[in-house]
Amino acid sequence: MTFARLQQGGPPRQAIVILGLVLFTCWSAGPVIWLILSSVLEQKALIAQPPDLSPQNFTLDNFSTVIGAAASLGRGIINSLIVAVFSTALALALGAPAAYALARLPVPRADNISFLILATQMLPGIAIAIPLFILISRLGLIDNVLSLGIVYLSFNLPIVIWILRGFFLGIPAGIEKAAAIDGAGIFATFWHIILPISLPPLSAAAVFAFVEAWNEFFFALILTRQQAQTTPLVIANFAGQYQTVFGQMMAAAVISVAPVILLAILFRNQIIRGFADGMMKG
Amino acid sequence: MTTTVEQRRRRTGVFFVAPALLVLAAILFYPIVDSILLALQRVQLAGGAVTQEWIGLGNFIRLFSDPVFWRAALNTAYFSGMEVVLVTLISLGVALLLNHPLGRSGFFRILLIVPWAIAPVANAVLWKWILNANYGILNGLLKSIGVIDYYQVWLGTPFSALNFLLIVDVWKSVPFVALLMLAGLQRVPQSLYRAAYMDGAGPWQSFLNVTLPTMRGVIAVAIVLQTIWSLRVFDLVFVLTRGGPADATALLNFLAYRVTFNFLDLGYGSAIANVIFALTFVLAALYVWLLWPRDVRGAR
Repeated sequence: MTFARLQQGGPPRQAIVILGLVLFTCWSAGPVIWLILSSVLEQKALIAQPPDLSPQNFTLDNFSTVIGAAASLGRGIINSLIVAVFSTALALALGAPAAYALARLPVPRADNISFLILATQMLPGIAIAIPLFILISRLGLIDNVLSLGIVYLSFNLPIVIWILRGFFLGIPAGIEKAAAIDGAGIFATFWHIILPISLPPLSAAAVFAFVEAWNEFFFALILTRQQAQTTPLVIANFAGQYQTVFGQMMAAAVISVAPVILLAILFRNQIIRGFADGMMKG
Repeated sequence: MTTTVEQRRRRTGVFFVAPALLVLAAILFYPIVDSILLALQRVQLAGGAVTQEWIGLGNFIRLFSDPVFWRAALNTAYFSGMEVVLVTLISLGVALLLNHPLGRSGFFRILLIVPWAIAPVANAVLWKWILNANYGILNGLLKSIGVIDYYQVWLGTPFSALNFLLIVDVWKSVPFVALLMLAGLQRVPQSLYRAAYMDGAGPWQSFLNVTLPTMRGVIAVAIVLQTIWSLRVFDLVFVLTRGGPADATALLNFLAYRVTFNFLDLGYGSAIANVIFALTFVLAALYVWLLWPRDVRGAR
């Protein structure tokens, strides 16, 4: 048996692997496929046992009904977009220089600060939610998309710093030295040399922060009332109100998850590299 | 000359870090400290005004004699314990499958990233439909293959509700942990497997003696992270069960929310939140300890 042959395994092991992969595919994709199917089937066909999948039962009515009937969904999507873009942009603007300094500049206690920042990312929302709620109420900023976006920095800023710091640590010192010899200061080096070569990790961090902000529910629940409601809140309310129109409920869910799923699929390699590696390495 | 350059680099560094640290101080450190102070007070919200009164450790003493708190603590212990075991084992299995030559297709990576990107709320709504007692597909499937004779109300009885919460959360959590483990597996040097092969090790032996020992760090990190994440599960409980039936699915996190924002008992809610914070703090410290760069002795 050669080494390559050993890694592949004989027919019994290959059969087990194939069976495992099939099971994994069904387990992972099954619920997602059912989500999509449910959103494009008529109610009658959907609640038939088994569901009637004949072609004449497929429809886009669920989508048009949900979009037409629920103004709250449209507003929710716009609010989610504003909150997610605002929070992501702030996290990058504050996080990129901080990460660069922590990785490359002689900041006192840089490692301690970095790990403290990483640890804060682990905090459960409830640990900070009550004081923030009181503070934001007193400021009269409840139900405001921008205050929600700033609160989202509590989880987005640490993760952006951590992902970017991991990348900056790996940049060869020669690049900065060459820039210094050419007379570039620290600002110029950061802006003209470091940032342009950091586009992949920057996009990974941006997509990550955007997805987290888009999906966030807990803070949105306690810090918004009506005007600033984001998509997850609208979806949760739907699930309470439209309990029995399953197709419409699923159509609303599909609308809410489609943008971030597309982003995640497009940027999957950067996300996997940026985050999976970032969480594992000091 | 060198000192001035060094000083300038240091000053610029502090200037780069300061804004981010100030923001984090305002939205993280201030609330954490204030949360501890709130837990020492009776804080009530009535008519839009907050009334505060110092009561020392009163809220924490109340915790000890509160059966609902203990119920939630027990639920959380069961939920988190089972979740960590299941997620770790399943993720390791999935990662091994995807590291096998047959599983390296990019298709499987998409399969892993999609459940991660689905909003927890949308996921909860989807499973509410799957588990629906009258029309849900789970009942239909299980009945058609003869596992059950009658449609079940999956979220209707305490034990079943808690376990379905667990299954749904495992479904959502596995992909990401599997990605972490896959990244770890791909860093195991091929030369180690080759050496094991030269020494006559079979596949099982090389799994036990090469894969597991080199993956020990990755698995430890995954366990700690997953424990922390399991303590923050909220959206699922909120959409699927609201803590019911009979508080069977009231996890600590959800209880703190309910006490604070439904019963408007902010001080007591903060006390419960502090318990969760303390648990997370210990786990986060453990995580940092696991990752902390050490001098690797004997390497190279």
